[in-house]
Amino acid sequence: MTTRIEMKNVVKKYGTNTVVRGVDLKVEDGEVVAMIGPSGAGKSTVLRMMNGLETTTSGEILIDGIDIAKPHVDIDKVRAKIGMVFQHFNLFPNMSVLGNVTLAPTELGMMTKDEADKEGRRMLDSVGLADKVDAMPSTLSGGQKQRVAIARALTMHPDMMLFDEPTSALDPEMVGDVLGVMRKLAKQGMTMVVVTHEMGFAKEVADRVVFFEGGEIQESGTPEQVFEHPKNERLQSFLQKVLEA
Amino acid sequence: MRRHWGIIGLVVALGLGIFSGQVAKPEPVHAAEKTYTIAMDTTFPPFEFADKNNKRVGIDIDLIEAIAKAEGFKVQLKATSFNGAVQELQANQVDGVMAGMSITPERKKVFAFSDPYYQSGVVMAVRKNGNITKLSQLRGKRVAVKTGTASADYANSIKKKYGFKTITFDDSNNVYQDVISGNSAACFEDKPVMQYAIATGLGLKLGNMKMAMANDYGIAVSKAEPALVKKINAGLKKVRKSGEYNKIVEKYLGNGSQADTDKKAKETNDSSSTFFGLLKSNRGALMAGLGETVQLTIVGILFATLVGILVGLLGVVPNKLAQGIATTFIYIFRGLPLMVLALFIYTGVPMVIGTKIPAFVAGIITLTLNEGAYTAAFVKGGIGAVDVGQMEAARSLGLPWTKAMRRVILPQGLKIMVPSFINQFIITLKDTSILSILGLMELTQTGKIIIARNMEGFKIWTMVALIYLIIITLLTWLSNWVQRRIQA
Ligand SMILES: Nc1ncnc2c1ncn2[C@@H]1O[C@H](COP(=O)(O)OP(=O)(O)O)[C@@H](O)[C@H]1O
Ligand SMILES: [Mg+2]
Repeated sequence: MTTRIEMKNVVKKYGTNTVVRGVDLKVEDGEVVAMIGPSGAGKSTVLRMMNGLETTTSGEILIDGIDIAKPHVDIDKVRAKIGMVFQHFNLFPNMSVLGNVTLAPTELGMMTKDEADKEGRRMLDSVGLADKVDAMPSTLSGGQKQRVAIARALTMHPDMMLFDEPTSALDPEMVGDVLGVMRKLAKQGMTMVVVTHEMGFAKEVADRVVFFEGGEIQESGTPEQVFEHPKNERLQSFLQKVLEA
Repeated sequence: MRRHWGIIGLVVALGLGIFSGQVAKPEPVHAAEKTYTIAMDTTFPPFEFADKNNKRVGIDIDLIEAIAKAEGFKVQLKATSFNGAVQELQANQVDGVMAGMSITPERKKVFAFSDPYYQSGVVMAVRKNGNITKLSQLRGKRVAVKTGTASADYANSIKKKYGFKTITFDDSNNVYQDVISGNSAACFEDKPVMQYAIATGLGLKLGNMKMAMANDYGIAVSKAEPALVKKINAGLKKVRKSGEYNKIVEKYLGNGSQADTDKKAKETNDSSSTFFGLLKSNRGALMAGLGETVQLTIVGILFATLVGILVGLLGVVPNKLAQGIATTFIYIFRGLPLMVLALFIYTGVPMVIGTKIPAFVAGIITLTLNEGAYTAAFVKGGIGAVDVGQMEAARSLGLPWTKAMRRVILPQGLKIMVPSFINQFIITLKDTSILSILGLMELTQTGKIIIARNMEGFKIWTMVALIYLIIITLLTWLSNWVQRRIQA
């Protein structure tokens, strides 16, 4: 098995405020890792450091063996291999659904316009939006927008995907569609890191669950270990709160 | 992308074309004849003023042309204010000043002077039907004078003794109006000027005072041009000898009889003073002024927009130095009053760099810097107003910063900026009026000159205001049409 992502003693400070305190984390090829924990724990920060959207204060982040925290790394090249899906979709409102999906591969010269159109349509079809190809993003529902965002990332043929609370901004009836698409991706063997509050999804789909609090990994293990036999006290109280809600 | 750069290239080329067309106005100059630029006042009858066809005439103008002809050189005359003319000569923007200027020891330190061409002196003028006629009656009153003139010096030298205060104006017209309206009790003015003004129907009369400070008018020349002084002196001698000098003076001041002066006055006044009569007789001048205003506006908008977008983009580049440059540019040129900036570029900078800057070019540079700074500020702000998630999403797909900016951020930012652009275009159009300070014959300066001649301030300013409103309306329609095209 090859290691896709490896974080070694990663620290992130905002001024004097340390928000990530020495995180070590490995994600193997084809693995699905769920990151859970209370708000403000540092989950998004860690996820965003994996594709260089946040800089690191110290430590190493290896993506396919390349330390992206080092200067002179072609971060754009690394990012092209990592898909990212945001809580608020971040679709480009100035272009159509197909335009959103085909922008990066054509701009980066990976595909011709025709190839990108074909591939984009295929990806939109795979997320169940074949009929929305020419729609403008503003006319879509939240669930549709998020599926377009996933298709946009997939058209780049990434080796791994990062999700930052992809269903948190959705109406409850839309959540299922998006989780369905993600479940399918996981089955196809995509390497995925998912920050989520959907404990059911984590339990069912993740190979490993990582619990964050206070900028540190408090506990990590299989869904069975983390959800059924939590050892860490903070994890226990977190799960209690989440299950009560 | 290539397509876009093509358009930008075209716009730049067009702008430069108009620009250079202005700089290098083709003038059929006779190889042997050198052309000198002489700056003049706008309102100083009978030495320089506009006749009823808005042709600039006067003793100074006829005399310098006669001298030039006699000596075989050419003159290009430039109407500005007296102060503007002096500053332009100091900045070597012009070769000489002929504006009924008295030869004084102070001025001789700075400029070379021709031989005297007219003897004048200071007289007092008061309201025609008022009861103040003597200096001794001025105690506690206000007296109007024109900035930087011998009359002003005289007024200041005796104001303690007679206990009056002075107020200064840049235009003779304002000096007289202040006395006519009763705000000032009297004014001091050069004798021939005062005589002429009174004789053409101004509601003033000469006060009971002997002509003071008899002084000689001379042509001020840059000390760097001793040859010009020689030519002028030689020409003046010839013109005096041939009798042409006397003819010129008589043409304007007449033979002293009331009937003759009245006749001269009639020649300068509009035949009809109704709104439409005035509009008809001044249409040519107003249209020419409008043309200059429109040219300044279009070229100004073009360059200001270009510079504004470039500086605005510099302000969002993730680089501290670039951002610092943009912030400083905006801070300085948005902070400076437009008029200060215009005068700095037109009369300040040439003193340092040693070459003239044509008024039109100085005006365009002023607009480019000032309006460009405002444009840069809202371009920067417009880009900043685009959700940060847009840049993050684009970058996370592997797009480099420039591509993300061009394809994702800018199109959204531009949409936000469109109303600001339209607003800025209108402001630029209005701001061209401030450039009248450079003596540019745009709409506002044209209005000033017409009024200086016919005193019809209300009607002429109404016309000028209406013309501005009409073109602002047209510009707004055009902008809205473009906006609809962009946002559709
Ligand atoms: N740009 C920033 N500047 C300062 N503090 C930040 C910034 N981004 C996040 N933080 C802080 O870092 C901590 C972790 O945030 P985050 O990673 O978003 O947590 P989570 O995703 O687990 O809710 C929080 O306390 C947050 O306030
Ligand atoms: Mg978060």
